[in-house]
Amino acid sequence: MTRRRKRLALIVSALIVLGSGLGLVLYALRDNIVFFYGPSEVYAKDLPPGTRLRIGGLVKQGSLTREGTSVRFEVTDGKRAIPVTYSGALPDLFREGQGVVAEGVLGTSGMTASTILAKHDERYMPREVVDALKKAGRWQENAGTAGMGGGS
Amino acid sequence: MLWGIFALLTGAAVLAVLWPLAKPVQKAASPDVAFYRAKLDEIERDAELAAISPQDAQAAKTEAARQLLAAAEKDEPKPTLGVSPLRPRLVAIVALVFIPALALGLYTYLGHPDWPDEPLEARLNAPAESMDINAAIAKVEAHLAQHPDDGLGYVVLVPAYLRLGRIEDAVHAAQMALQKLGENPQRLAAYGETLVFANHGIVTEEARRLFTRALAAGAEPKALFFLGLAASQEGDKTNARAYWQKLLAQSPPNAPWRSDLTARLAALSGEAAAPDPAAAIAALPAAEREAAIRAMIDKLAARLAENGQDIDGWLRLVRAYKVMNEVDKARAALAAARRDFGGNAAATARLDALAHELGLNS
Amino acid sequence: MIVETGHFALVLALALALVNAGVPLWGIAARDRRLMAVAPSVAFAGFLLIAISYAALTYAHVTSDFSLVNVIENSHSAKPLIYKITGVWGNHEGSMLLWVLILSLFAAAVAVSGRAMPIDLHAAVLAVQSWIAAAFLLFILLTSNPFARLVNPPIEGNDLNPLLQDPGLAIHPPLLYLGYVGLSITFSFAAAALICGRIDAVWARLVRPWTLAAWTFLTLGIAMGSYWAYYTLGWGGFWFWDPVENASLMPWIAATALLHSATVMEKREALKVWTIFLAILAFSLSLVGTFIVRSGVLTSVHAFANDPRRGVFILAILVFFIGGSLLLFALRANALKPGGFFVPVSREGALVLNNLVLSTCCATVFIGTLYPLALQALNGAKISVGPPFFNLTFVPLFLPLCAVMPIAQTLAWKRGDLLGSVQRLFFAFVCGAALMLFLAVARGGPAISILLAGLAVYLMIGAFTDLGTRIFGRAALVNGHVLRHALGLPRSTYGTALAHAGIGLSLLGLAATGWGAQKILAMKPGDVARVGSYELALESVGPQTGPNYTATVAHMAIRSGGSKVAQIDPAVRFYPTRQMSRSEAGIKTIDFGQVYVGISDGTTPGSVNARLYWKPLVTFIWFGAIVMALGGLCSLSDRRLRIGVARRVRKLAVAPQAAE
Repeated sequence: MTRRRKRLALIVSALIVLGSGLGLVLYALRDNIVFFYGPSEVYAKDLPPGTRLRIGGLVKQGSLTREGTSVRFEVTDGKRAIPVTYSGALPDLFREGQGVVAEGVLGTSGMTASTILAKHDERYMPREVVDALKKAGRWQENAGTAGMGGGS
Repeated sequence: MLWGIFALLTGAAVLAVLWPLAKPVQKAASPDVAFYRAKLDEIERDAELAAISPQDAQAAKTEAARQLLAAAEKDEPKPTLGVSPLRPRLVAIVALVFIPALALGLYTYLGHPDWPDEPLEARLNAPAESMDINAAIAKVEAHLAQHPDDGLGYVVLVPAYLRLGRIEDAVHAAQMALQKLGENPQRLAAYGETLVFANHGIVTEEARRLFTRALAAGAEPKALFFLGLAASQEGDKTNARAYWQKLLAQSPPNAPWRSDLTARLAALSGEAAAPDPAAAIAALPAAEREAAIRAMIDKLAARLAENGQDIDGWLRLVRAYKVMNEVDKARAALAAARRDFGGNAAATARLDALAHELGLNS
Repeated sequence: MIVETGHFALVLALALALVNAGVPLWGIAARDRRLMAVAPSVAFAGFLLIAISYAALTYAHVTSDFSLVNVIENSHSAKPLIYKITGVWGNHEGSMLLWVLILSLFAAAVAVSGRAMPIDLHAAVLAVQSWIAAAFLLFILLTSNPFARLVNPPIEGNDLNPLLQDPGLAIHPPLLYLGYVGLSITFSFAAAALICGRIDAVWARLVRPWTLAAWTFLTLGIAMGSYWAYYTLGWGGFWFWDPVENASLMPWIAATALLHSATVMEKREALKVWTIFLAILAFSLSLVGTFIVRSGVLTSVHAFANDPRRGVFILAILVFFIGGSLLLFALRANALKPGGFFVPVSREGALVLNNLVLSTCCATVFIGTLYPLALQALNGAKISVGPPFFNLTFVPLFLPLCAVMPIAQTLAWKRGDLLGSVQRLFFAFVCGAALMLFLAVARGGPAISILLAGLAVYLMIGAFTDLGTRIFGRAALVNGHVLRHALGLPRSTYGTALAHAGIGLSLLGLAATGWGAQKILAMKPGDVARVGSYELALESVGPQTGPNYTATVAHMAIRSGGSKVAQIDPAVRFYPTRQMSRSEAGIKTIDFGQVYVGISDGTTPGSVNARLYWKPLVTFIWFGAIVMALGGLCSLSDRRLRIGVARRVRKLAVAPQAAE
């Protein structure tokens, strides 16, 4: 094999591997990304049922009900709220009034979630939730860290 | 001692720079020759084990040998510059000056050399007089966690919590004391007192019932005082005076609250039209004062919101907000007052003067 | 006093790092060996100072010194001693201190093992390492100081996050950091090679043990982290393609590629530029990982409580080191003699293919992890890229790589014989195909699991095929020297075989997830549920009290064929200080598979919501990683890596020859 053919072999195989990688990425990005919205945005966008998305906000106080192993609750940004049903294991930090991110499919009356995310650390608020709350104007800069105490 | 350790560490750090500078230069290692020798050995071993064909082994050996020669040539000692003592000396000076200067400079900015370690064990075992109130509380709390039925612990905790401003804990502890030990005038009154604190100095209906019960069960100065306060907060001066005078009569001559009480009584009878609670507030213990001032401000604000035709009241409110560092509220009150006294030039002038004095003109 | 000494030692370490970042480089520029000789002793002193500092912080945690903000926020006097110690690195500030401790530990290791290295390279490596140390020490002291104190210490702390009060935390972060930070040495080697203009086979051999060590730790760290998530998060998942997990996977892929390309550089003096680039890339990716974890720019289940100021600082460090090294690379790389090209069908050709595929894999993970960030910066849309993306990109690239792996192992250097290799792998092919056929008949599906299982078996047998033919080959059998052949083979050959077989073992574990069973239901005492071939009977539910928590425990019996096999006690723990609960999964390993039960409080008192799983062969996933790490260790013990030692022995042997 000549030097030129060796070089050609290298370039061709590099192109094949990188090309297939790029192709896979583009294909996967078309169908497998999930948009993130706050509850108000979901209503504003008027998304069709069947859309897969992530919503973030706070678990509305008093909205959590359990039926067997499935739970229903509402995710709110202080303005609008979306009912969510979920069956499966809730993360340990899931609680009313706390920040939550739910991923699932939008139905006609709310969302059927397949994944619920909360945080490892209770002082931390998911970034998307902060943004959603900010958009809805329900976020005070210092309220996130100083969640303790309360009252008077 | 601490500075001794710091000096020792800094000295060691500087020495880590100076020591190699002082050592004679060693001949540098060169792994190249060793590497290619090892490679030759390896090829021989592989050939022996028939892992590679004899031709390949021969070719590889030739190549490695060529590289070995090249490496050996390269390995000839380079002309070593740096016989001049200038550079090491410069480095030594940098080390002697820069390391201590940076370390001490940054440390004094960040650190607290005069603060001792505070391991929890030592803090809890400290003698009572030098023990801080936090540690004392923790000790009692730990005791209660083990013996939750010891009501006396709660009795002790109530005033301690109040002193630290842990009002909710105080309410809970007073409640527990009542529950565990049963009712007596002191415990009832103590519970009532925590409720007054929880409500920013206002004697609520519930607290008042507790004080009445305490009084019915026996003589209790606290109950008399707060019942009097309740009456005065409602504007019932006659009753307030009655309670407080009774308390004064009961009090031993050296009772710490005597002076405060006389001041309050004087205030009641003296300024009948517009009682000035400032003196009374000033006489309160420090922890109570804050709450009382808040209560007073809130009451004043509420009254002015109903009926704004009181220029002195407005001026006092603005000033009070400013004192409490609530500039926004002060501005809002100022604006409200200007609205209420829109046509009144004299009042507006006074408001302007105050705004100027307090620096509220933005 | 101890606390303040620790604080001072940290500041002093910064001063030393700054000195060491400058003086040796000056020595190299001036070719003055006296200045270069400063580097090792200063690096070692820096390590001792940071160790003092770390010990002081540990002391403060162990004695519950609540005058330190860090101790208040992450400790509690009632916490068990082991978690007081591990809690030091269970938070941002302490873990950063551990990070620089390990950084300086590696520097100290290089300092003492430098006899075999050319002095200029040695000094340059330590100088670059000091730049990194100085940057991170500054970061710690200015934005994340673990020694920040309060005048009036409270009497009790906020306790450590319950999810972190776990033996897994005792091992996972230090291992991961040993891997992450170990890559800093290969980075320093690359930068030093560029500075000294010494990029050759010898360099490749000098850097190899460090890459191997970092890779081994990273492998174990990732596996440990995955197992920890598996049993603490309580939903039985072990890999979520979460940004933080990806952050550890990317440097791992880059380090794997680096290990392979450095072999080519060592053996054939080729791929030089590429190898240097990979060494820079691997550590850059581990810095990107640090940035992702600490800055909170991406939502992840692992994120630390964070502070934007820190994110900006780390971003600055990131830009400085990646930008600086790439600039150095650009300036020096074209001065390099290009390496030779070679025949595509050969060991080196296969290793190039490995590098191509691994870099592409790494790039897909990188895109999937950072695309949401880029998109948000561009048009404000918030998206998340989840497991489906990675399953569609990473997996189709990685699996063919696994199929090629055994073939590459049997190819010879320089000129390979593809047909001969494939023939030698005949047995492995047959075994894989037979297993697939058997599974297709016995299980019927799912197809992907059958495919993976076949691939896994082929990979494991294939990994040892080359070794087998070399030990039991015709030459050996004829001469009757099987044992001599076996001992004569370099350890790194065994290491390669082990590491590749480990991948096969992990794949087998992954394949078996397709045959698992799961059930989510509410149970009350007396209920029996069937999962897989086991029956789980809930016997009773009761309370339990731990040192700093209370718990609800479900006592369950695992029955198989009517007889009780084992007992498990899954629990939900409640930590009052943080008002947090955490589930403690009940796990029983049976024949390499696991019965896994997680519970949460039920709707009616006395009942629990239970998640029951039967996961056949699931432990293989992590055993595979352990086998890979063993392969790394085995390679690391190869005597050829210690050229310095070889040289000294040689000298004695060479002397008489020279006299001839």
